[in-house]
Amino acid sequence: MRKAFLLILAICLVLPVATFAQKQTEIIVMSNYSDQAPKDTMAAVAAEFMRLNPTIKVTINTVAHEQFKTQLVNYLTAKNPPDLLTWFAGYRMQQHAVKGLLEPLDTAFPGGKMEKEFPAAFKDACSFKGKVYMMPNSWYWWAVYYNKDVFASLGLKPPKTWDEFLAVCEALKKGGVAPIAIGAKDTWTAGGWFDYMDVAVNGGDFHKQLTAGTVAYTDPKVLKTFGYLADLSKKGYIMPNATSYSWQEAANVLFDGKAGMYLMGQFVKDVAPADKKDSIDFFKFPLVGANTKYGVDTPLDGFMMPKNSKNKVAAKKFLLFMATKEGQELFAKPLGRLAANINVPVPNADAQRGLDMVKGATWAMLFYDRDAPEEMAAKGMNAIVDILQTPDNMNAILAALDKERVRIYEELK
Amino acid sequence: MKMGKNKAWWVPWAFLALPLVLYLFWVILPVFQSLAYSFTKRDSIIFGTQWVGFRNFARLFTDGQFWLAIRNNMVWLVFFVGIPVPLGLFVAMLFNTERRGNRLYKTLFYLPMTLSFAIIGTMWMWIYNPDFGALNTFLRMVGLDSVAVQWLGDKRYMTGALVAVGVWRQVPYVMILYLAGLKGVPGELVEAAMIDGASWWQRFRHVVIPMLAPATVVAMTISVIDSLRSFDIVYVMTNTKARAAEVLASYMYSSTFHYSDYGYGSAIAVMQFLITLGFILVYVNNVLKNEIER
Repeated sequence: MRKAFLLILAICLVLPVATFAQKQTEIIVMSNYSDQAPKDTMAAVAAEFMRLNPTIKVTINTVAHEQFKTQLVNYLTAKNPPDLLTWFAGYRMQQHAVKGLLEPLDTAFPGGKMEKEFPAAFKDACSFKGKVYMMPNSWYWWAVYYNKDVFASLGLKPPKTWDEFLAVCEALKKGGVAPIAIGAKDTWTAGGWFDYMDVAVNGGDFHKQLTAGTVAYTDPKVLKTFGYLADLSKKGYIMPNATSYSWQEAANVLFDGKAGMYLMGQFVKDVAPADKKDSIDFFKFPLVGANTKYGVDTPLDGFMMPKNSKNKVAAKKFLLFMATKEGQELFAKPLGRLAANINVPVPNADAQRGLDMVKGATWAMLFYDRDAPEEMAAKGMNAIVDILQTPDNMNAILAALDKERVRIYEELK
Repeated sequence: MKMGKNKAWWVPWAFLALPLVLYLFWVILPVFQSLAYSFTKRDSIIFGTQWVGFRNFARLFTDGQFWLAIRNNMVWLVFFVGIPVPLGLFVAMLFNTERRGNRLYKTLFYLPMTLSFAIIGTMWMWIYNPDFGALNTFLRMVGLDSVAVQWLGDKRYMTGALVAVGVWRQVPYVMILYLAGLKGVPGELVEAAMIDGASWWQRFRHVVIPMLAPATVVAMTISVIDSLRSFDIVYVMTNTKARAAEVLASYMYSSTFHYSDYGYGSAIAVMQFLITLGFILVYVNNVLKNEIER
């Protein structure tokens, strides 16, 4: 009798443990990391987390960037939304926080608060009204990427000033190579040109006013910036048929040595074939005139959680893992990006140079379409592409753009 | 079959009930919903609803992009109706005779219709590629280098290049409509005209064309509607970012889903609806008038 009682007791004790062990919580991560390299890396991060936390299953749904963008509001407002979403810091995140669609993430960081292991400078871009809504994952820099082999064959050196840059363009053009690659079918590629050119010409403080909507696009200073861009086009320095190609297609033109330079984010290396990766290097955007100060585009990517998420506890656990030194390193290292967590060592010499370039900068921008409202940036980027294509229409294009600026910022009030 | 008088009036309605409810719910209701949304400022279906009266419509009239979309839609309308309808009729006439291999040619001609716009768009993007595409390669081969332009990258040619793709797919569709119509033209009628000494052109003009009137109404109506709601090709081939080729449907899409401006997007949808309705009413009204006169 006693034996039977003990047996039943043992079963009663073991059963719930056994069923508990079988019961998994599934969290859904909607990801826009649709290029192969970041997609694989994200899967590796999730696999490591699941190994450490067998009771949580992480399912990653990857959606191509454009579709992701158009669906984002639907994801956030769904009754049964995904538990985590990849997205951009800055205005792009804050526009959803304003509407109360996001879950605060202040405690989902190692040590219970963001400042502990993340740079204080990131907090603003990840917060809204004092609350953190984004766990920054990785960041990178934009710079002028160039084909080392092409430069070597023409005896060229990375330029430091605008005059040197124009000389390099001229030499490349004479050498039968398109000086500047742009995949302008994706208009955002022109956004980088706008950020860098305007900061180089007018400084970062002025650029900030422009993205905040307080300066007109018809301001003489803005005209001066666009004048530089129009000049590149007039001189025939932009690769032919640029508006027919996506950013990846234009990157291939650079990799193949048919173009010399490409102003791009560090992720351009994600799409370089293994045997071409080493022939691609970068240099700082050239200084204009007597300016010695410079700015850099440093987009910050991360994760946010919809307010309606059904598995907040498990999802925050995953976030916390991704915020740790280990989690961040797992993601950033294979991609050669910079982790947001300060304890993660810089992954390689390239990244060290990128970091040094950022540290030496007077101004850091997130990116045109993250610093300015999305619609403004989208229309602005269209205007830049239009100007590159028809530089003689510059004034009319900017006048139309400024009309949009007035309306867009008025509606935000 | 003759309907018995004792059958209750509600029987046909009972059969229709389910599809009718679905139609009301999925088609009619959203039309009114869009109309209601167009008077609001809202940034999603659920959030930020604010009544703004006619402000969205007032904005439309001063929005250059909206007028450009209308202009592009008109280009679509002219060429999408003007080419496929006569060309489809011509091809149908060719295939309506008994000739060896007719069936094969008919099938080949009809093939584009079986492809989705997404596939057609992707395929033509390759054909239009400025550097390696079939079109420019051919043009350069025959010495027409100056005509080998950026078909999808240059604002001036974009809409034309897109319409050409649409026309390419629409011709076989119209052809099928006319082939079906031609089956209904009684042979005796044509023979009688022949005996009366009518030339080929006279037989075509005064016997065949009038007999094809119903097919023409369908072909015209469908082509008008398709041209005014063209979206797939524009979206696939330009990703709606190339704003020079924007049409009303793509502008509605980008306003609504890219910029989360649901109110403005709905206003564009309402305008598109009214324009389409206008064209169809004028056309159908004309056709009916002719029918009655006859």
